[in-house]
Amino acid sequence: MDSIIILFIAGLVGLFAGMSKKPVASILIASFGLIGAGLAAYFRGSYTSPFSSYAAYVPTQSMVIILLCAVTLLAILGGYKRYKSDDEHTGDYLGLILFSLCGAILMAQPNDLMLFFIGLEILSIPIYVLVGIDKGSSTSAEAAVKYFFTGSFASAIILFGIALLYGATGSFQLIEIQSNLAIGIWQSPMAMIGSLFLLAGFTFKIGAVPFHFWGPDVYDGASNAVLMYMATVVKIAGVYALVNVFGQVFRDSYFFWIDLVSLLIVISMFYGYITAWKQTSFRRLIAYSSIANAGLMLFALADIHNSNLFLFVAAYALATIALVAINSVINDDSDALANWEGIAWKNPLLGIALVLALFSLSGIPPLAGFFGKFSLLWSAVPHVPYTAMLALIASVVGAFVYLRLMLLALKKPSVTVRVKLSLEQIIVLVLTSVASIGAIYFI
Amino acid sequence: MALILLPLVFSLLAWFIPSAFTRLFGLLATGLTLVWSIVAVCYFQPEEQILIDFGLRFVRFSIDSLGFTMILLTNAVLFLVFLSNFTGKLVNDNKFAALALLMQFGLLGVFTTNTILGFYIFWELTLLPIFLILYWFGSFEKPRALLQFFLYTLLGSLAMLLAVIGLMHATNQQTYEALLVADINALGNTSIWLMGGFLFAFAVKIPLFPFHTWQAETYTKAPVAGTMLLSAIMLKMALFGLLKWVLPIFDGVATDFWRWPIITLGLIGVVYGAVIAIRQSDIKTLFAYASLSHLGLIAAALMLNDYDTNQIAVVQIVNHSIVSIGLFLAAGIIEQRLGTRELSELGGLAKIAPRFGFWFAVLTFVSLSVPFTAGFIGEFFLIKALFSANALTGFIASTTLVLGAVYMLRAYQAPMFGPSKFSSFQDLHWSEITVFAILSIAAIYLGLAPQCLTDFVAHSLTQPTH
Repeated sequence: MDSIIILFIAGLVGLFAGMSKKPVASILIASFGLIGAGLAAYFRGSYTSPFSSYAAYVPTQSMVIILLCAVTLLAILGGYKRYKSDDEHTGDYLGLILFSLCGAILMAQPNDLMLFFIGLEILSIPIYVLVGIDKGSSTSAEAAVKYFFTGSFASAIILFGIALLYGATGSFQLIEIQSNLAIGIWQSPMAMIGSLFLLAGFTFKIGAVPFHFWGPDVYDGASNAVLMYMATVVKIAGVYALVNVFGQVFRDSYFFWIDLVSLLIVISMFYGYITAWKQTSFRRLIAYSSIANAGLMLFALADIHNSNLFLFVAAYALATIALVAINSVINDDSDALANWEGIAWKNPLLGIALVLALFSLSGIPPLAGFFGKFSLLWSAVPHVPYTAMLALIASVVGAFVYLRLMLLALKKPSVTVRVKLSLEQIIVLVLTSVASIGAIYFI
Repeated sequence: MALILLPLVFSLLAWFIPSAFTRLFGLLATGLTLVWSIVAVCYFQPEEQILIDFGLRFVRFSIDSLGFTMILLTNAVLFLVFLSNFTGKLVNDNKFAALALLMQFGLLGVFTTNTILGFYIFWELTLLPIFLILYWFGSFEKPRALLQFFLYTLLGSLAMLLAVIGLMHATNQQTYEALLVADINALGNTSIWLMGGFLFAFAVKIPLFPFHTWQAETYTKAPVAGTMLLSAIMLKMALFGLLKWVLPIFDGVATDFWRWPIITLGLIGVVYGAVIAIRQSDIKTLFAYASLSHLGLIAAALMLNDYDTNQIAVVQIVNHSIVSIGLFLAAGIIEQRLGTRELSELGGLAKIAPRFGFWFAVLTFVSLSVPFTAGFIGEFFLIKALFSANALTGFIASTTLVLGAVYMLRAYQAPMFGPSKFSSFQDLHWSEITVFAILSIAAIYLGLAPQCLTDFVAHSLTQPTH
């Protein structure tokens, strides 16, 4: 709860600081707010919080809160160049991101479906605004409208699912729903349809097949800076909420939905990676890669008692942020993959960060992506061995996509133009690189 | 501990070395690790094991006598790779030095790790530097061949990853010693599947017959140093994994199931590789197929899982490293000086470059496994083992001697004898002579006294129970 309060205050102060038209002030306030929120989560329980009576409403684990804050911090630092260029709105950007993060923390590991839904909306609405904040651009406006309509549609489906569950069990509390379902009600059509509606809504939010179609257009229309936040935090929060709700509520109907989830995993991975193969726009490639990774994340549902999701989502988020940050260095206006040719030679740090991020996404040890995939599969293999097998074949296709990008970036150009990085970009790239190597100590 | 970590430290250092000193740095770094490992071997009792623990949950190290053999081999190969390219452009590039040293670290990890997941992690780690070496320094016009190599090995590795996860779940163990005593046979068919996962990865890497399609093109297009690294030491990871991990652990139902399929594939590779090698006109491709033929024999003999054969297989593994460094070096010298690898365009080099003619001849004879070289001991006993298992397999395996003579003599005779087609050919540099001399001495020493190696590794090979 303290983390949310700190973020909220930092967001408010940042909004007003933004009026001074000094972007540095806004970014500093936002960064300190995020660090403070992370620290508050880390030391939770070791001090008496003034809001301790509300603590039960935000049962999200400290690790998840810290991860969300850290990823957001990297995302705003990576996008700072863009926010700065629009100094009238820097405060708005950062404030919206912090408010949205409050929602993410609220919804990530809920114990009450009503609070979860409120968190979901707090998370989503600022992002609709952020996607469309570039008022002059028609693709941005199109993306915002598309995201808004499809997103509210998904929210409505989730809400409908919650209503059906409430009808079947008479409660919003996850524990009570579970105990009511456990005595046999889950076989009632109402609860079964409710669980499917929830699954559909969640699939939509994390962007897995078959509700993925908004992804490429929205990612393409959003700016790099917003994409860094959107492609990571929303997915992390969404998949954690999914695992939490399904793990707590529907564990007795495991065999009812696990085959469906396996199917979603396999189709998402193959669809995402195969489609990413032929993309010519970087953000669309990231969008398809994130569809495939959303499929992988669903593996956390295979073993609902021990999902081991943390490392994977952290590795995915770090690598994606590193890649988009690199894209924003070289490629802010146009978004063509062709501009990636030879960029590793323009700055050694770009090259190292890029190689590490792409190998990490392909799942090559000893990088974070491998340990993430390993720990996910470690719990999933005994439950869904054949899905795991297909998923590994799909990741070979994925490796192909990432390697193609890497070969493009490593191609030695005839003339090398050095690129200078700004301080915050250096911080982002160094942190993501170090983290992707250092993950070996977390397994 | 320093034995394993030194290459990593050097690899990081190499990024900061100015390019004028890079080749010296690479030579000194690999030389230092080689000397260090020789000293460590001198103080090492073959019966004991050295345990190393960095506090990681899934990765621990323990070095036994087989591990030490492979460490020595790795460090020697890396040293020879740097020495043999001393005149080339490649070693002046600090990217190459850093990547090669990183690869050395990965290889040492593979050969010394004590946990099954550690084996997988280091196995994959070696893929990363070799991929970049091939990409930056190879002559791949299109990335297709390179991607084929990478994705093929990645597919194999992922099958192995599944098998590793399955094995750890099924036995609830992860260290080598614990897996050895775990009752794998109780798993029945599952153990066959698990072993199949490992074997698939190994078959791609070795490579065995139907999985070899990446090999010839990758070897041909790679820079000489990259080909040496690939064939002299990287492929040995698969044979090592078979010898140390898979065969002892899956001894029983699974090995019995896979024995004849793998022996068949290995022997098909022996004949197929040799026949294709005879027809090749490109000297590097010829050696690539020769490698396929030789390794098929080792893999087939290993599958017998016989205590004595396994010791001899180690001799043959070392011998193959010697041969492949020597032959690819010779091919590299020809290519570097003359700009062509086509056998039909070459000829008469022995007259203008007698030193090259002599040392290439020595290596050719080592490769032909004439008596008093390591190859003779290796191939003779491996074929004998296959013969006692089944007369037909023994017969097929022994064709390697005849077919080998055909392609090797052709590969030697075409560039060396006949009318001289080139007016000038710079004879061997001292660094290249040193490499050839070291290789020849090692091969002849092992041919005369193989028991020094077989007795040394015998301590860490397990006596099969079947």
